[in-house]
Amino acid sequence: MDTRRSTLAPSAGLTAPAAPTGSPSVAADIYDEVAYAYDGTLEGLLSAIFASYERRERPTDVEPESRLQLRLGQRLARIETNPSHAARVLAGVRRQCGWQAELALKRAACSDEPDAGTAAYRFVRYAVDEQKRRDCEHCRKRLACKGRGGVGPCPRRRGRAFSDITHPAVERLFRISCSVSQECEHMRQFVRFQHLRGEGGDLWFSRVNPKASVVPLVMGHFVERMSDAPFIIYDEVHEVAGVYDGGDWYLVATAGQGDLQQALPAPGADEALMGEAWRTFYRSVAIDARYNPELRRQFMPKRFWKNLTEMQEAPHGLVRGS
Amino acid sequence: MNVVEKLEILADAAKYDVACTSSGVQREGKRGQLGAARQAGCCHSFTPDGRCVTLLKVLMTNVCVYDCCYCVNRKSNGEMRRAAFTPRELADLTIGFYRRNYIEGLFLSSGVTGSPDATCESMVEALRILREEYGFRGYIHAKAIPGASVELLDALGRLADRLSVNLELPSGQSLGLLAPDKSRHSILAPMRHIHDSIAEDAESRSLARKRTTVYMTKKPARKAQAFAPAGQSTQMIIGATPESDFQILNLSASLYTQLSLKRVFFSAYLPAVAHPLLPATDAVQLNREHRLYQADWLMRFYGFDVSEIIDEANPFLEPDVDPKANWALNHLDFFPVEVNTAPLEALLRVPGIGVRGAKLILRARRQSTLGEMELRKLGIAYKRARYFITMNGAWGGSGVDFSRDALHARLAAPIPGGRHGRRADKTAPGQMSLFESATEAALPGTGAPAALPEASAANRAALDAAFAAQRAALEAASPAKPQPIAARAHNRATAQPAA
Repeated sequence: MDTRRSTLAPSAGLTAPAAPTGSPSVAADIYDEVAYAYDGTLEGLLSAIFASYERRERPTDVEPESRLQLRLGQRLARIETNPSHAARVLAGVRRQCGWQAELALKRAACSDEPDAGTAAYRFVRYAVDEQKRRDCEHCRKRLACKGRGGVGPCPRRRGRAFSDITHPAVERLFRISCSVSQECEHMRQFVRFQHLRGEGGDLWFSRVNPKASVVPLVMGHFVERMSDAPFIIYDEVHEVAGVYDGGDWYLVATAGQGDLQQALPAPGADEALMGEAWRTFYRSVAIDARYNPELRRQFMPKRFWKNLTEMQEAPHGLVRGS
Repeated sequence: MNVVEKLEILADAAKYDVACTSSGVQREGKRGQLGAARQAGCCHSFTPDGRCVTLLKVLMTNVCVYDCCYCVNRKSNGEMRRAAFTPRELADLTIGFYRRNYIEGLFLSSGVTGSPDATCESMVEALRILREEYGFRGYIHAKAIPGASVELLDALGRLADRLSVNLELPSGQSLGLLAPDKSRHSILAPMRHIHDSIAEDAESRSLARKRTTVYMTKKPARKAQAFAPAGQSTQMIIGATPESDFQILNLSASLYTQLSLKRVFFSAYLPAVAHPLLPATDAVQLNREHRLYQADWLMRFYGFDVSEIIDEANPFLEPDVDPKANWALNHLDFFPVEVNTAPLEALLRVPGIGVRGAKLILRARRQSTLGEMELRKLGIAYKRARYFITMNGAWGGSGVDFSRDALHARLAAPIPGGRHGRRADKTAPGQMSLFESATEAALPGTGAPAALPEASAANRAALDAAFAAQRAALEAASPAKPQPIAARAHNRATAQPAA
């Protein structure tokens, strides 16, 4: 089937990334000279993982098509997103690797890191192989176990693969998951809503610039606490908006539509007053004798400042396009 | 005066209150109502001094009938602008800020106007508007006013998530001297009452949950609001009076055990107002405050007893190594600890391994044997921990003498300040600079870190003068007493005992 591999790539093992030297017990995986491109969504990533099993291939890279750069002599395979395949993979990961691994996959799909998809794919390969390698011989529960003899997942090993953080196949996913979770926390902290007043009614609008596409992960948090008014969280980096209409929330892609705020009504009269009150408060709670700007920058990185009300100089600094 | 001006005055007056936490209570949101609270809390902004802003921290009013000499809002401070919020203004401001995700809730304190009861009543009214009229489900922290009646305290506790009473100063004597209108009893009585009410509330809840019949019982239509579900906290000023760290830590340990406080906050003394009894120095004792917080964390999360951290013979914490490293240096017989087998309690004693690191080690070592590479991947401070651990039998600190002095030198070495910011090493040692003064450049051993301002001789002298004045005032007040306790404990550390 794959005749090009023998001619173009001298040996699949040569271009595969070297296994880290720290743990010699880990056998290096042999990767095929193929890169999977998916559409950048969680479903796309899971479909790509499904495809690698279906096509019996071990892709070197699994990346969103927009970010993918082929290596020398690498073949490209575009993977169609298939929701039913994605659901099967997600259910399988939950069953075999536990809910923490499932959450980590969801977070990795939101990450902007170039190797996030590859890390997720490698982890799933590793975790599923670990399940298969187990020995039920000495297990006390083997008679009552549904997965005995390796036919199904072992309930006792469910969370184990993901807790082996030092393993090279797990470490990268763990790191990515941590950094996306950190970015979610930054969003919960630094989202600032503006009150827009249009003919249709009130709307709360917020503009954010996270370094991972975390709006779908934090919408639940804001819907829980602001459920009595519609709001929009607009991610200007990834051109995605989370829209809550008072009943349910949706994710809207705004790519190619220009700045979302141009299409929205102007801020209400109370907005300037409240912004000024907040800036006044922020100024007056600072204690000069303890001045420590490095500490502030550590907790509140400068990349967020342009969308923070309290870091704006002029009263109307936050209002753009008006 | 408009709301923004009032906010400026009243937030400025409240900025010395250190407790700004929104943690300790988990309350899910309700459809159609504003707000929810998370167990871990959430910081929404950070001031230029790096402290977090999580709550709208304001005073109801900064008019006060008391005359505590360390406080900016005291009665005799003539140049202070005074203002007061009406309950409605404050509630509207809180809602407006919360909607914009500026804050996690409200932190309400107040100066005492008229009587403590009247002050407390207006606070209760503001919280009632928030909770009942606006249906606000966010976090509320309220300061209990010492001297207010028990009924008002109960009403406050039902509306707020956390209550706190300021301990102000670490001993009754200092309190009597610097805050003549307050007494030990007037502060401890409300704390004890809050503790009893929280315990009673929890107990009646657990009894109500118990099923006593086989019949299904009808649930009440509306849940009663719990009494201060996030517990109570307190704070005290450090460095205005001569109490030692030994006294302060023992006091906070007894507050944790006897009154089940969630937090005891320390606030390094800042000269906000000039007074003959107060130290006139600009050097804030930030390092001391930091060490006290480290010791506080050891007591609350690392399973240390207060007697392990500090004893009466050395009543002040070491300035150059942290309390945990100090304990390790004094108990070298406990080390090295084998990371692959040691229990959690032993791992928590190792300098460089924190609670998160210890838990990650437990999690990772079920799968693989941990060595240096793995420990570094887990993100523990290997540089510090390596002298105190073995990894599968191999000691990490080879090349260093396993003795107290050698390890002390390693742990007390200044941490490189990075390449940016104030602590950065701008010049390499020995490098010539255009802007350095000649005398400084000529000094040998310029690689040593600059002394902290709080350790300077001028600062020490200012502190000693103030403490001597305090002692003199105490002796004048009670000539029968031979020597005050606070003075006795302090004299060991000061070079010049006051005559």
